[in-house]
Amino acid sequence: MNLRLSKIIAALSYCVALCGIVPLFPWLTTAPRLAIAAGMIAGIWQERRGAWPLKNWWLNAAVVPVFLFYAAQFSRANPAQPVVSVLAVMLAVRLGGEKSGRHYLQILALSLFCLAASSLFDLSPAFLVYLALLLLLVAVSLVLLTFHAQDSRMTLARPDLRKVLAAGLLMPLASLPLLLFFFPLLPRTQLPLWNILPPTAHATGFSDRIEPGRAQNVAESRLTVFRAEMPRLPQRQLYWRGTVFNRIVGNRWIRDVAMPAERIGYSGPRIVQNIYPEPGRSRALFALDAPAAITLPQVKRFPDGTFEQQGAAGKRLGYAAESVIAGILPVAAAPERAFYLRLPDGIPPRILTLAEEIRRRGDSDVGRLELLEVHFRNGNYRYTMQGLPVGVHALEQFLFEKKQGHCEFFASAFALLLRGAGVPARLVGGYLGGEYNELGGYYLISEDMAHVWVEAYIADRGWVRVDPSSLAQNAGAVWGGPKKRGLLDKFRLTLDSFNHSWNRTVITYDFERQVEAARGAGKRLQGLDARKVLKASLPAVLLLAGVSGAILLALRRKSLLPSREERLLRSFYRRLERDCGIGVERGSQGLFELATASGNGRVREFVEIYAGAVYRDRRVTPGEYGQLKRMLREGFRNG
Amino acid sequence: MLDTLSRDFLQGKEEVLRLSAIALLTGGHILIEDIPGLGKTTIALALAGITGLSFGRVQCTSDLLPSDITGLSMFSREEGRFTFLPGPIFNNIVLLDEINRAMPRTQSAMLEAMEERRVTVEGTTHPLPDPFMVFATQNPSDQSGTFPLPESQLDRFLLCTGVGYPPEQLEKGIISGGGIRERIGSITPVATAGDILAARRAVAEAVYLSDAVVGYIYALVAATRNHERIQTGLSTRAAINLAQAARAAAFLEGRDFVAPEDVKGVAVAVCAHRLILRPEHESAHPGELLRAIIAEIPLPLA
Repeated sequence: MNLRLSKIIAALSYCVALCGIVPLFPWLTTAPRLAIAAGMIAGIWQERRGAWPLKNWWLNAAVVPVFLFYAAQFSRANPAQPVVSVLAVMLAVRLGGEKSGRHYLQILALSLFCLAASSLFDLSPAFLVYLALLLLLVAVSLVLLTFHAQDSRMTLARPDLRKVLAAGLLMPLASLPLLLFFFPLLPRTQLPLWNILPPTAHATGFSDRIEPGRAQNVAESRLTVFRAEMPRLPQRQLYWRGTVFNRIVGNRWIRDVAMPAERIGYSGPRIVQNIYPEPGRSRALFALDAPAAITLPQVKRFPDGTFEQQGAAGKRLGYAAESVIAGILPVAAAPERAFYLRLPDGIPPRILTLAEEIRRRGDSDVGRLELLEVHFRNGNYRYTMQGLPVGVHALEQFLFEKKQGHCEFFASAFALLLRGAGVPARLVGGYLGGEYNELGGYYLISEDMAHVWVEAYIADRGWVRVDPSSLAQNAGAVWGGPKKRGLLDKFRLTLDSFNHSWNRTVITYDFERQVEAARGAGKRLQGLDARKVLKASLPAVLLLAGVSGAILLALRRKSLLPSREERLLRSFYRRLERDCGIGVERGSQGLFELATASGNGRVREFVEIYAGAVYRDRRVTPGEYGQLKRMLREGFRNG
Repeated sequence: MLDTLSRDFLQGKEEVLRLSAIALLTGGHILIEDIPGLGKTTIALALAGITGLSFGRVQCTSDLLPSDITGLSMFSREEGRFTFLPGPIFNNIVLLDEINRAMPRTQSAMLEAMEERRVTVEGTTHPLPDPFMVFATQNPSDQSGTFPLPESQLDRFLLCTGVGYPPEQLEKGIISGGGIRERIGSITPVATAGDILAARRAVAEAVYLSDAVVGYIYALVAATRNHERIQTGLSTRAAINLAQAARAAAFLEGRDFVAPEDVKGVAVAVCAHRLILRPEHESAHPGELLRAIIAEIPLPLA
């Protein structure tokens, strides 16, 4: 079957245009979007009809006012959008009009520009996919276009087409080594050049203050906050410390930077994590509670065991953290109790009464903490995101009437009561839990895992972590065992690990770190025992050899494993030459010719059976095969 | 039937007879090209005699008119109207002797009748009998007073072959025994028109043409199209005719499937006259060239 070259090129150019425009599409305004869609549809429709009522010069003339319009919109504040719009409109015009070789080239170039423009707005790994696809298609199109330039009505047989396609695909593949060479050399950006901040989310998540009672319901957002590469840990130990709120103003807990100095004595085994936060507004650096060290060039450490990033926020970065996850922060000297006992005015008397009662009943800070825990555990409190108490008296309502709320209610009420009872307390904001991605070996933490818990100071022990939300009556159901993962979830995690490795290796590529990793690998290699390596790699090598052998066999099956008919024919020739003394020119002498030449009845009989099968388009049946074999064994001597 | 003919009457003419039978079995026409006096006419007469088919003969000259072949309407005085007197073409086997002596006008009228299998005279269409076969003979065209058939007309003949001189022994026998024209009149038919038609159906329907052999035919046709010494290769009609002729050859061999040898055996006769060589190679013999091409194409054997 032959294919018209011009049809193939047209189809390819539509594919190329799609590859260029799809990544840009979400960032376009409505008018260019419509233009592109219209151009595509008009082009394909006219292609199918084979007639081109839309004349190119109309279209070209129509671009001029569009260009002028967008040129007028161009300004320093808005440089990208008009340019991108003009690009899209020009591509639309080319797609909609009749195409000669020159127009096809313009489509290819415009599509490449469109794809490149999309990287102004977004640096997602999908870009790589589109780029690879586009380059392959462009290479094939260019090869076909050279043929097209010779003869526009040319048709290509399938085998020829296959050859052309192979050549087109080989060109980009041949340039891969160059890519490896350029990758470390060329500068790159860690942020999309134009679209600097991702859209801000108004949902659950980490914030710089704790104010229960703001809204009745809270929506959950699954936006990724950060990823932490580390070994797997029990889910209950995954408290990610972000910030500490130490001062109450009215209903709000806020962070007072002028906190008293403390010296934390970290002890116990340290867990190392490599954390890659998504660019966001927060300067807080997250790590497992409690981080002892965070390696980042510009980092500020606070006496309450939290870290903040200095310099420009919103940059994609990665850092290593070391954490001690004991749940207790031992402090060398007792902190300034008064700072952590300060209460605002206007606390409802009912709350004060409850706090006072606990202070009276407990004989020490430990006793008071335990009493409060018992109060929460037996108080029938429910953890929920819906039907929350609102308003100025939200906490009071939560404690005594509604008895349901989320972590902010639990934690701020708990800390308030602790302070009221004379135990120094503060809130810690961060995330709880994480979804482990086995493929990438990292925890994925999303906004809906934002959490607040309490730290109480107990003399001789230090700051003790208390999570009042876990005292809720339905805590087991909410924080309970691992969730079952559906197929969709697994797919999402796989995609996410791809996204992560893209961010790690391409976007936040760090030459020094790469060299370090290479050096480390080299050192480890030197320390290896050759025999051990051989032993370990033996199965892999054997498997590889087996697989390649099988592939080779499958490819050369024709010559290595001749069919039954070919084997019969070969032994027939040998027999004929030996028994009848005729030289056989293989391939140029027909079987019946040979039979006539030999003048032998048995040869004729053999040929008739054999040819009867072969020239009736069927295989030799087992019965016939046996018969022919027997005739060959007996020979043609006495025929 | 063929054996009877070649044994009793036409010594040394097996190949021509075989090809004539193939033409008869596929419903094609045959052009015999050779110098006079080698038995072209005798072969046609003998074939007509042994099949019991009617025979008509047209001796072509430069003043032969189309109506001399097709017949004409004559006014009949008794009936008071024109009646159609059929010409010699209204026979099962028509010998067009020395076709290249006829004017192109007459040639094309005959060839049209060959293709359409009907004749239109003065507005009335008269179908030709079935089976219908033209047995044209032609003297090699370098003789004077001839109008060589154009290539497009040659393409209408299924087969084109020479006769050749008989082997020495046979020729001596013929010389001593004299011609056999008289004896041909006494041939007793061994087949009827119905038999021939049934055999034709059997050739077209019962002989199997495998994909391998179709591939071989295609390879052959494609090779002529890409050959450096050939200007115009074989047409699709040539390929169809080659397959038809190969079927008939297989049928004559008593097989119900086509072997590549059947194709080889008829290829020169079917194809050689349809090839147009490049002007600089015109002196080459197309038959030889075709044999060389055939020798290069591997036979499908497994």
